[in-house]
Amino acid sequence: MPRIVVDYDKCTGLGICESIAPDVFEVDDDGSLLILEESPDETRRGELQEAVDGCPTGALSIED
Amino acid sequence: MTLTTEPNARQYDPVSLAPMAFWAKSPEEREEDYAVLRAERPISWHPPAEGSMMPPQEGGGFWAVTRHADIVAVSKDPETFCSGEGIQMEDVPLDILEAVSSFLATDAPRHTKLRKLVSAAFTPKRVKKIEEQIKAQATRLVDQLIETGDCDFVEHISRRLPQWTIFEMVGVEDQETREIATRAADGMVSWGDEDVRQGREPAELLTESLMALINVALELAEARRAEPRDDLMTNLVQAEVDGEQLTDEEIAAFFCLLSIAGNDTTRNTTSSTMRALTLNPDQRALLREDYEGRITVAIDEFVRWATPVMTFRRTATRDVELGGQQIKQGDWVVLFYSSGNRDPEVFDDPMRFDVTRSPNPHIAFGGGGPHYCMGNQLAKTQLRAIFWELLTRVPDLEAGEPVYLAGNFMQAIKSMPCRLNL
Ligand code: HEM
Ligand code: SF4
Repeated sequence: MPRIVVDYDKCTGLGICESIAPDVFEVDDDGSLLILEESPDETRRGELQEAVDGCPTGALSIED
Repeated sequence: MTLTTEPNARQYDPVSLAPMAFWAKSPEEREEDYAVLRAERPISWHPPAEGSMMPPQEGGGFWAVTRHADIVAVSKDPETFCSGEGIQMEDVPLDILEAVSSFLATDAPRHTKLRKLVSAAFTPKRVKKIEEQIKAQATRLVDQLIETGDCDFVEHISRRLPQWTIFEMVGVEDQETREIATRAADGMVSWGDEDVRQGREPAELLTESLMALINVALELAEARRAEPRDDLMTNLVQAEVDGEQLTDEEIAAFFCLLSIAGNDTTRNTTSSTMRALTLNPDQRALLREDYEGRITVAIDEFVRWATPVMTFRRTATRDVELGGQQIKQGDWVVLFYSSGNRDPEVFDDPMRFDVTRSPNPHIAFGGGGPHYCMGNQLAKTQLRAIFWELLTRVPDLEAGEPVYLAGNFMQAIKSMPCRLNL
């Protein structure tokens, strides 16, 4: 199963990932990124990859 | 041309991006020069930008980064290419830079802390919350447009929605003050334009605009200290960084940054898009057929096409090689977003306005990295709202010839006539 890793030094909390996969990523009210589901189902890989690629700060990666 | 493809460090490139004359050309004419640089000398050395307020340094100049891939690489490497020594392609007096740029012209760790004070207001949830209000405002603006009839599109549409949105969020309440702040924010980025300056020196216009913005900011800060509300200014006056409250100067700088970044960018994208939809009726028809289904993809094309922020600068923190050129510590490196967004290596047929273009990895909001535009989702929400109203209620609106601002920072449209054809 893919596991999402966030580099919090890079993340600026814009939530572009959230607009791609709102049930996995959520930027909370103080601007910090929460991971709602750390190891989503294998079938979600495409969407997660889209979030990783879409993150402008390069803060996200997927580990297996 | 005697200088050919041989990269020749420290020799000024024959295609000069420095003169005022270059920045007075139309975007299409500039693209001809960018195309040569991208293909032959993607990292090129240029004399200091003409018309700077400070005397240029001996042997000075800047590197122009014109390819998409290189702009992204520089943007994503803030340790090597920093923002803390300035972000404009000309030397701006340091006190002015600090007074207006806030966290835009800082580096980690301070950048991270300052940005976080406001970024929470720009998250998807917060943008969603204000979306209904933005839509209602867009409806009112088009009501007024229909009442007014043929008019200047910039004045009556493009500048109104961004102005309303950003000042609603920051907490500037009355329309008169919003106007004062908008004009001052415009003044900060139009000092290269003689028509706007009206005989004044660039520094004069800058100082005047800056004072006006600071006044509005500090009055508002005072009011929110006395009586907190649910807005960004209240957040700022209550914020602490490393256990200390922000100074008045810092608060004013936040205000300046938000007023400039929040206004002109979305405004110019709106104007540029209306012109593009006028010149490309097939693209307008595609959107009218299925707005909801197509607009998300189309908005990225609107923003790529407009690229309202043409340039930002970085400064090299060490000696480094970039695209075959030796960059020295302290060198200025200017990112040409307008050029990167027409790079044929990345975009098929880049000079075509194509609302179905997908993927569309444009860099109009920056090439990635820590400074990536904080307002990107807010801007997209506004564009979606205003074009829905325009395309459904004045579907045959025609935008005439745009009048461009002269200058090397904002691709700004000062005015553009429109005919409603109702
Ligand atoms: C179509 C509209 C817009 C465009 C094209 C745009 C473009 C940009 C660009 C190119 C940058 C610099 C990125 C970099 O250095 O890597 C930036 C930064 C920024 N933008 Fe936007 N912008 C837009 C709308 C907005 C709006 C509506 C706001 C609302 C306040 C905003 C706020 C900011 C802020 C605060 C920064 C500085 C971020 C930082 O330094 O950390 N922008 N924008
Ligand atoms: S898109 Fe990237 S920077 Fe933005 S919140 Fe998600 S992880 Fe953080």
